[in-house]
Amino acid sequence: MSIIQQQASLGDAWRTINIDALDPDSSQNFDTTTLHPPLPEINEADVRQLNAQVRQLLRGGDAEGALRGCLETPVYNGPESAKEAHLQTVTEVLQSIKASDMSPMLERIHQSPGGSELLDVLIKYLYKGMAASAGASGAPRAAGSRTPSTLTPQQTGFSQVGSRPGATNESTGAAMSVILSWHEKVIDIAGLGSIGRCMTDWRKV
Amino acid sequence: MSGPEVHHLFHRPIADHSFSADRKILAVAKDSAVELYGKVAGSFKLKDELKGHDKTITGVDIAPNSGRIVTCSQDRNALVWEPSPTGYKPTLVLLRIARAATFVRWSPSETKFAVGSGDRVIAVCYFEEENDWWVSKHLKKPIRSTITTVAWHPNGVLLAAGSTDAHARVFSSFIKGVDARPDPSVWGERLPFNTVCGEFMNNSAGWVHSVAFSPSGDALAFAAHDSSITVVYPTAPEQPPRAVISINTQLLPFMSLIWSSESEIVAAGHDCEAFRFQGDASGWQLSGTLESKGRPGLGDEREESALNMFKQMDLKGKAKDDTQLKTVHQNTISTLRAYESNGGNVTQFSSKSSGVDGRLVIWTL
Repeated sequence: MSIIQQQASLGDAWRTINIDALDPDSSQNFDTTTLHPPLPEINEADVRQLNAQVRQLLRGGDAEGALRGCLETPVYNGPESAKEAHLQTVTEVLQSIKASDMSPMLERIHQSPGGSELLDVLIKYLYKGMAASAGASGAPRAAGSRTPSTLTPQQTGFSQVGSRPGATNESTGAAMSVILSWHEKVIDIAGLGSIGRCMTDWRKV
Repeated sequence: MSGPEVHHLFHRPIADHSFSADRKILAVAKDSAVELYGKVAGSFKLKDELKGHDKTITGVDIAPNSGRIVTCSQDRNALVWEPSPTGYKPTLVLLRIARAATFVRWSPSETKFAVGSGDRVIAVCYFEEENDWWVSKHLKKPIRSTITTVAWHPNGVLLAAGSTDAHARVFSSFIKGVDARPDPSVWGERLPFNTVCGEFMNNSAGWVHSVAFSPSGDALAFAAHDSSITVVYPTAPEQPPRAVISINTQLLPFMSLIWSSESEIVAAGHDCEAFRFQGDASGWQLSGTLESKGRPGLGDEREESALNMFKQMDLKGKAKDDTQLKTVHQNTISTLRAYESNGGNVTQFSSKSSGVDGRLVIWTL
């Protein structure tokens, strides 16, 4: 009986050895990004330029064109600031489209060639938007709960850091409700497959 | 067209299944044993049990002509079961892999079989006369992750494999002395062992769950975890394929696909039902499901009496029992196999599901 126990503990010991680290061919010792073809790099200037174009389309009343425009050039490979800026552009477009126009517009985009790809990109931005506004609304609340125990200068400092420029708590709530209603409508058209693709995809926005 | 033939074998997941050529024997992987069922008056009866592995069996395949059964398991072994008058005799195969074997298929010539594994290799196994033993050669490069599936080209030399590194690849598994030199095809002319004849991935790079060559062998289809199927039409060796068509669907991912003819693919997976795709080199599209929604027997709602409604609400907190799916399979379909074919066109196929379902269904196309 004792031998078996001893063997069992020996067995446990070797189980904790990370054999992947010892194998030169294992995925741990291999840069998995080389498995994919490289993506074109997009910098902040490109994003700003695109933002200007999209705004012009919006002013001209071509909301669908504006949405397509920003979904056709997602920032997959670029600095974090460019990614953030593009998310802002997409959110702006989404907020400027009326709820009654959403479904017909998505339907048209989905029917067009390459449309399902565009909706996949949209889903990625919706989730990124949710993450961003959840982070933004979370921070001020944490700051608010601290108010009684901390000094006033600290509190104002917190709220400046926590909330994003031009976004107060109410507006993040409004932004979230816009994102959620878009999410519902996109899933109606693009199906559960698009959520799966968003999770599977190695190209992150 | 008759309805699907449903066989409920047991309440366990089925990892893989295979029919013998005359469709009288059905081999089903159940935990660490393979159960052999014989068809008796329209239903399957348990006849024999092949016990030899000590971990979950992941693949089973019956060679159509010789009747040999090959099995592979998470215990890193493969066994070849030779039929004899006194029952099946196992022979161990020297796989030389350090991780679980995940998938096994006989080549059309039945002199070789390929075993996919979690060790980033495919073991191509063949019988060596002088040693009287099954030995293997490894296809290694450029696989970077677990092999989930393999499929043979009709010529018995080319092998397609799908992997969790999101690539579907076509290799040559030519073994001197075992294979005859294959005719040149769109995939290549000279094919020494481990020639990579093609390497494909789809846009969003999902894990590949299933690969299949078209009946002619001139096209390759694969299903990946991004709910898509991709069809590749190669032109000539060392040249980009003339068409790579990806169909992103609105459905959940497909786990298995088969070609029913040169212009039709049947795929099934997490949606628990099989779907038809039709097309050619100019384009493919989803043409519908094989499930007929108005089937009698399902949705056979009991007469709605007030008593029954309140009884259900009291028992379950809801008036309707919604624990049954509207599909024949009640869980993910994990393998499709051709059951009967007619001049290269599959007319019937079998599907079986994973999860605690244990259903095997024979569909008519």
